[in-house]
Amino acid sequence: MRRLRRWLLLVPVLAYTAFSAGPYLWTAAMSLRTTDEIYRSHYGLPIPAHWEKYHAAWTQFGYATYFRNSAIVSVASVLMVTVLGAMAGFAFGRSRYAFPLREPLFLLIFLSLMFPPQIMLLALFQILVQYRLFNTLTGLVLVYVATELPLTIYLLRAFFAQIPQELEEAARIDGCGDWTMFWRVMFPMALPAVATTVILNFIYFWNEFLYAVVFITQQRIRTLPLAIQFLVSDQYFDIGMLATGLMIATLPVLALYVFLSEWFVKGMTAGAIKG
Amino acid sequence: MARAEALPRILPRTATRRPGPRRPWRAIALFVGPTLALYLAVVVYPILVTFYNSFHTLRMDLGMQYEFVGLEHFREILGSDEVFWKAAGNSLTWGLVAPLIDIPLAFVLALTLYARVPFAKFFRTVWFTPVLMSYPVVGVIWLWVYNYDWGMANLLLRAVGLGAYAQAWLASPATALPALILVTTWMFAGFNMVVLLAAIHAIPVEYLEAARVDGASGWRRTLHIIVPLVRPTLVNLAILDFIGKMKQFALVWVMTRGGPMWGTETVATYVIKRAFEWKTLDLGYPSAIAVLWFAIIFGLSYGLTRLLQRREALQF
Repeated sequence: MRRLRRWLLLVPVLAYTAFSAGPYLWTAAMSLRTTDEIYRSHYGLPIPAHWEKYHAAWTQFGYATYFRNSAIVSVASVLMVTVLGAMAGFAFGRSRYAFPLREPLFLLIFLSLMFPPQIMLLALFQILVQYRLFNTLTGLVLVYVATELPLTIYLLRAFFAQIPQELEEAARIDGCGDWTMFWRVMFPMALPAVATTVILNFIYFWNEFLYAVVFITQQRIRTLPLAIQFLVSDQYFDIGMLATGLMIATLPVLALYVFLSEWFVKGMTAGAIKG
Repeated sequence: MARAEALPRILPRTATRRPGPRRPWRAIALFVGPTLALYLAVVVYPILVTFYNSFHTLRMDLGMQYEFVGLEHFREILGSDEVFWKAAGNSLTWGLVAPLIDIPLAFVLALTLYARVPFAKFFRTVWFTPVLMSYPVVGVIWLWVYNYDWGMANLLLRAVGLGAYAQAWLASPATALPALILVTTWMFAGFNMVVLLAAIHAIPVEYLEAARVDGASGWRRTLHIIVPLVRPTLVNLAILDFIGKMKQFALVWVMTRGGPMWGTETVATYVIKRAFEWKTLDLGYPSAIAVLWFAIIFGLSYGLTRLLQRREALQF
């Protein structure tokens, strides 16, 4: 009886799964079909599969460039935000580094998680233009790092705060200065927590749109989300090619997700759980 | 530091340094300095500039010429800017309606998986996927879903004999905003579900077992044990959802551009339009909108948190 009920629950579960995965699977099918085939029947199976469309999107439609820009921005931003965030989280989390006004400062940084981006956006536009960083990936990276620092610091501070004092003292007795102790002892211990922030930040950077749309106006430095927005208007009727582009933009993340789904779930939800 | 450095290193450093008020300033500067510099330059300074801008007219075409106007922008926004009110209404609707749909749906999904449906892990993995995609990607996919002639939405309606209801969902002011709200639900229901499932799994099994022995039905166990215990998580997710929707920009930008007839204009899209698309070329006015919206989001988030947590305190 109870077993039967468990199987009955599958009905709503499968219905929701169709809703959740259907649109994406449909897009995946279209990415392997030519636009002509799609217009003849919108829900046909990708037989024969046109894998060459991926090559065409990559070489003729500029996706190689957009992909490279996204990769550069995401990797550079993740590296920077991880190093800066871990160091700051460490200093905010250990009693040894207490300095006047440390807690109010941390609170201010933490509160900025709630700020709507518009409160900085227009002024940042001005500032970037002024310092010749408008329309550069460097400018975008600096802004990205600053916007994700609060959450990174918040998460890593919580981790560093709970490392036992004895460990710190042991490291010091072994003759470690602050710098060495951090990189040799503390940072390696924090790697699991660091991994969750890396995933969280990487996905945010890979998908970010608002800052990109305001700060990047040149085609050759567009990131993927930006490129897709422009391609929608440019080739609205070339559905097949657009679908291929969507897959190129999402597959790297989804492929990683399939292999590391537990880490992804941990990373993405790290900001949502009240600690 | 320096004094310890000068002594011959016979004793370990800790022995020569008396514990006490001496702070390792050099280390603090090293660890916090870079972050602080970047934060001041890219967050604090721009916020101050935005506040300053909101009291001025700032002409982009005249090489950023400032002209002081005091509270004029704010008077105009609140007094006579109909588009702003429309946008604020849309953003608020989105912010208040979305959590009411997203969170209960996510909770029901989490309970279903908690009831040990076969292949639960597989379903959890699939449902979580949409949150990993960027808004432009999601926007394009859903433009197709809502297509009048061959989109999935109308296809489904026609298939079950409700073809009379098939329509161009994004073309009419009455249905465009609900259609977009459904898209964010699609994106975030799985995410919220995962967080809630973790919260439910954290409840000690003994509680639920004891209730079962006492003869409480599954329904009552849910209502009287699970709901109160995961309430903090529910509240937290609702507030996060609210804040996220109040900032909503990208999905609208890609799918509707705020149309039809400002039916999906949000405050965020309006700010960008006023700054870069309208011919006013004034950065002051949109800065004033941003300042106002900043205050409103903060006030409402604080109010909601207090309200929802107060109710919690009364329960015990």
